[in-house]
Amino acid sequence: MGYGRSDSYRVATSQDKDGKSSPSKKNKKGKDMDELKKEVPITEHKMSIEECCRKFNTDIVQGLTNAKAAEFLIRDGPNCLTPPPTTPEWIKFCRQLFGGFSILLWTGAILCFLAYAIQAATEDEPAGDNLYLGIVLSVVVVVTGCFSYFQEAKSSKIMESFKNMVPQQALVIREGEKMTINAEEVVAGDLVEVKGGDRIPADLRVVSAHGCKVDNSSLTGESEPQSRSPDCTHDNPLETRNVAFFSTNCVEGTARGIVVCTGDRTVMGRIATLTSGLESGKTPIAKEIEHFIHLITGVAVFLGITFFILAVCLGYTWLEAVIFLIGIIVANVPEGLLATVTVCLTLTAKRMAKKNCLVKNLEAVETLGSTSTICSDKTGTLTQNRMTVAHMWFDNQIHEADTTEDQSGASFDKTSASWAALARVAALCNRAVFKAGQDQLPILKRDTAGDASESALLKCIELSCGSVKQIREKNKKVAEIPFNSTNKYQLSVHETEDPNDNRYLLVMKGAPERILDRCTTIIIQGKEQPMDEEMKESFQNAYMELGGLGERVLGFCHLLMPEDQYPKGFAFDCDDVNFTTESLCFVGLMSMIDPPRAAVPDAVGKCRSAGIKVIMVTGDHPITAKAIAKGVGIISEGNETVEDIASHHTGSRSANSLCSLMFPLLSLSDAKACVIHGTDLKELSQDQMDDILRNHTEIVFARTSPQQKLIIVEGCQRLGAIVAVTGDGVNDSPALKKADIGVAMGISGSDVSKQAADMILLDDNFASIVTGVEEGRLIFDNLKKSIAYTLTSNIPEITPFLLFIIVNIPLPLGTITILCIDLGTDMVPAISLAYEAAESDIMKRQPRNPTRDKLVNERLISIAYGQIGMIQALGGFFSYFVILAENGFLPSILVGIRLNWDDRACNDLEDSYGQQWTYEQRKIVEFTCHTAFFVSIVVVQWADVIVCKTRRNSVFQQGMKNKILIFGLFEETALAAFLSYTPGMDVALRMFPLKPSWWFCAVPYSVLIFVYDEIRKLLIRRNPGGKWLSLSLYNI
Amino acid sequence: MAKDAEKSTWKDTIWNPSTREFCGRTASSWGLILLFYLVFYIFLAGMFCLTMYVMLQTLDDHKPTWQDRLSTPGMMIRPRGDTMEINTHNTESWDMYIKTLDNFLSSYNNSLQAEKNDKCPPDQYFIQADSGDVKNNPKRSCQFNRSLLQECSGLDDHTYGYQAGKPCIIIKLNRVIGMLPGKDGKAPFVTCGAKRYKVGKDEWKEDSDKIGEVAYYPENGAFNLMYYPYYGKKAQVNYSQPLVAIKFLNITLNEDINIECRIISNNIPPGSERDKFAGKVSFKLRINTKQ
Repeated sequence: MGYGRSDSYRVATSQDKDGKSSPSKKNKKGKDMDELKKEVPITEHKMSIEECCRKFNTDIVQGLTNAKAAEFLIRDGPNCLTPPPTTPEWIKFCRQLFGGFSILLWTGAILCFLAYAIQAATEDEPAGDNLYLGIVLSVVVVVTGCFSYFQEAKSSKIMESFKNMVPQQALVIREGEKMTINAEEVVAGDLVEVKGGDRIPADLRVVSAHGCKVDNSSLTGESEPQSRSPDCTHDNPLETRNVAFFSTNCVEGTARGIVVCTGDRTVMGRIATLTSGLESGKTPIAKEIEHFIHLITGVAVFLGITFFILAVCLGYTWLEAVIFLIGIIVANVPEGLLATVTVCLTLTAKRMAKKNCLVKNLEAVETLGSTSTICSDKTGTLTQNRMTVAHMWFDNQIHEADTTEDQSGASFDKTSASWAALARVAALCNRAVFKAGQDQLPILKRDTAGDASESALLKCIELSCGSVKQIREKNKKVAEIPFNSTNKYQLSVHETEDPNDNRYLLVMKGAPERILDRCTTIIIQGKEQPMDEEMKESFQNAYMELGGLGERVLGFCHLLMPEDQYPKGFAFDCDDVNFTTESLCFVGLMSMIDPPRAAVPDAVGKCRSAGIKVIMVTGDHPITAKAIAKGVGIISEGNETVEDIASHHTGSRSANSLCSLMFPLLSLSDAKACVIHGTDLKELSQDQMDDILRNHTEIVFARTSPQQKLIIVEGCQRLGAIVAVTGDGVNDSPALKKADIGVAMGISGSDVSKQAADMILLDDNFASIVTGVEEGRLIFDNLKKSIAYTLTSNIPEITPFLLFIIVNIPLPLGTITILCIDLGTDMVPAISLAYEAAESDIMKRQPRNPTRDKLVNERLISIAYGQIGMIQALGGFFSYFVILAENGFLPSILVGIRLNWDDRACNDLEDSYGQQWTYEQRKIVEFTCHTAFFVSIVVVQWADVIVCKTRRNSVFQQGMKNKILIFGLFEETALAAFLSYTPGMDVALRMFPLKPSWWFCAVPYSVLIFVYDEIRKLLIRRNPGGKWLSLSLYNI
Repeated sequence: MAKDAEKSTWKDTIWNPSTREFCGRTASSWGLILLFYLVFYIFLAGMFCLTMYVMLQTLDDHKPTWQDRLSTPGMMIRPRGDTMEINTHNTESWDMYIKTLDNFLSSYNNSLQAEKNDKCPPDQYFIQADSGDVKNNPKRSCQFNRSLLQECSGLDDHTYGYQAGKPCIIIKLNRVIGMLPGKDGKAPFVTCGAKRYKVGKDEWKEDSDKIGEVAYYPENGAFNLMYYPYYGKKAQVNYSQPLVAIKFLNITLNEDINIECRIISNNIPPGSERDKFAGKVSFKLRINTKQ
């Protein structure tokens, strides 16, 4: 059981690395990283205490001298983790300012300035449009950048609040004196004393211990506290009993140890450094936006070049053609989309925060929605991280205890006298007590002092039999032998409840087989019966069954001591046992487990129906892991693991050796589930690993090291999955960082894991992930709709300019009005689409395939640009022609009129009726046309926002329940009216009041859009997967 | 290795020989798309034509629906341009102006006017009302004889005074259908004066003392009411736009003079400040006498 699987890890990642980084960088960085991935270099556990003292120039009694300690402190530096390199705020800000979508807008702005510069250099009175457009684009990017920067800053502030600001103290012995110092000042060689409740200040080689147990769960994932003693029990420093690790907790007892590593050199420190050295890839939404930019740029450049060539052919000068080229490219930039996307993501992030998912990085909002694999830690995420009594065996029968958090589960028959006896033993032979002042809390939520199993028993008895305190008061304790690893039992002697009965009651609990050995009788239905072979066999069966469930089983027995041998006042001597501990009466078994959280099985089921593979990756033992996996549905009911099948085939093999059977049986394709042990994982080649991940739908990895978790995540990513990792411990943090989205636990999570994660579950509940998935999928769908909506209006914005160039008509739509649409009227409706409800049960479909299901694909562009956009453009042009015609310029004379129209010196331009117009007079008509075109776009966008609401469903099926959208409709209309009718707008924005009839010009086109799209959706619903329909019609 | 795979897929996305797909679609699939778009666009074009047709049906043939932007008619000068610089000794500097004026005035030749247009009773509107739905078309127009411009008609002085340094400028008022430019029988007239122009920040200047005497033809520079109203080019094919000519009799020589002419009428609202040609026209004149 090695810790660092350096070899296999290198195989797993070397190819990956070659592709990415330059050789020189790779060598330097790679060396550091490999170093971190190597075996933990602690060897002190194998040394004798004396050797150890010699190595650190310390004394087992006196500790270091103060001078030495100071010297070591200077040599090694303070005993704390180097915080991960924080990105300076200005870099974060620049990332917001120049990342992803912003680049497109910056390019647009620069092109605008370039075009203006060309115009300024060549023309006397350059039109300011390009200058204004460039400025507006820059402002939009900066404002949106600031907005998302502050959004993320807010999240990170909440993050900061998690940090434990209380400085840790440590009790060290220097020059023979005990002194409390800041944990940062602890140095290698220091003699440190820890007691229950302390956090271990550094990696310690234990030199003496008294009932010391440490909670290693944040490092190894083991849910049970591990006892510590001075003896080396394992070659692997992580497994041996005589090393206690930095930042784990001492649960009970006391221990003294020599510090062997401090700060970043500790096991914990190495994992933290490994984590901060990892680089996480781009988020899926960032990739989607990149793809979108490529598409949009493609369309823009294609249009630009086409019309550049056309313009040159039409006889424009090169410079004019270049200005047109830039104008067309810039016109394709959807100015408002950056803000829309940011606001949509922010809204979702807020909604998720309300549901206890705190998102650190806005883009990560969507990632959960794309997730196809969740690698979940067990302890604390899937389970409650609290030992609870799960089963009991008495009266030759297994009874199930209620393990749910809210006591909603099944109860068992409590009337049996055997149960009363068992409850009494469990209550009395138990040192755990509730901490004071928690009477108002539900029993399961109360804090206890004592061993995890004893606390579990305490709570169980308190729940089912009432106050344990009273039982204990009635049965005064006379003597006690605490648990130790040689006896493997715990014993206490009590007075009986009945004051007339002077006998003493001996109660004992411990390892079941040891207890059984001491028993000659057994209680059945409250009556003592001799222990016969049949009974022993049924005990064995029960013991095996409960053990097979991954539960920790304890045996209980008691004895009412004969009054003649042990009269009242008998002096029980616990050190030199002067009373019988044999021929006891067996009462029953109780088994405990860290039970799954109540909501988890349901959540796992939802993930499964949503097509998400849930993999358990835990540091805990395979049997426990498998039991929990079965309990929460990660291994579904009826599915047998490879090992189960193997054991059926081979018959006799015990479940414990399941892992060694793995390899020859990998070909067993009928096994969907498998449990893989860390030791086996070490042996796997990359291909075998891929095979496992590909061929098994239900996988549990047990006894995995942090590095292996990383390999598993990388394996999944290699197969194209988008991986979410949940975890709370330090051991999870490298995987959290490497994952597409790392989800840390807000309450129980370690700081390191929260640093590495992208998202934090504030309630530590795995079920919140399902919410995250749902919200993520919804926002992906809704972003599609928002983008489709926003992009559509691009066509009515570009075509006027194109026709202006090609057929020389007066410009139908100006830059200012375009900006009014993109940054004004389109904004609220586009954002309101983020509030749209899902069309179908989004949790019932497969996760999107990141290579196929793009945010914006050719079909979306084809519908938005080629179909709806074209109808919109016609609507706009229609109002343009109406206004010009009603003012005297019939369409027939418009073609080619542009040169005279835009000539300031021509002040008697003749219209179709023979009237003559000054420059200013016809320009007012032109700007009225711009206003009308703008209003027409608003009118057709009404229909567009309604058709964009749904992708498949009819609006009549979906309904108009989105209140924000209805508000958006009114808002854009009001804004359009405001811009048109407010006095002074003619000077400020060159927008003029419209005659009421001009508002209705585009209405037929609006209706057409609605009808057309309803027909399109009807066809999609009628012909699902119809090939040629799907070409141009299906899917936006 | 990964790169190679990527390359081939990239190539395949353009032309995949195994499936005979171009950009991910087969020829027939592309054909269907093109067919769809063809039908779709033909339908759209039809729809557009239909709405345009309906809209054109609502229009009146003789009068545009809206004329509110033309309440103040524009004014223009002939020869065109906002700066005229001539040299009395250099024929070439004014030759083109003369040609322009000759050309412009040719349609006002007395013979042509007499042939095409009627003599109308002066000083009153020449109203030719329609009787209900029956259009009284074509409508007749009044004669505007070139000779009315007298000194500036180019008949006697074919250089329009340019050679003598006393140039003629012809002013016209833009045609607006149905416009009645004066009420109570008072005809609108043109008056020219100095234009205030900016020479520095908050510093204005005008050249009123340098303009000298200005002669107006016809008398008072008035547009006779009989030329109004205008009935549109369809109904009133031979309409002759009335003109006013001004002649600068002793303008200061060898200097830039800024001149502004306005229409004075009791029925025409003053144009907006933004529009420099509504109801007024301005230009710069410089007459050089030095060689």
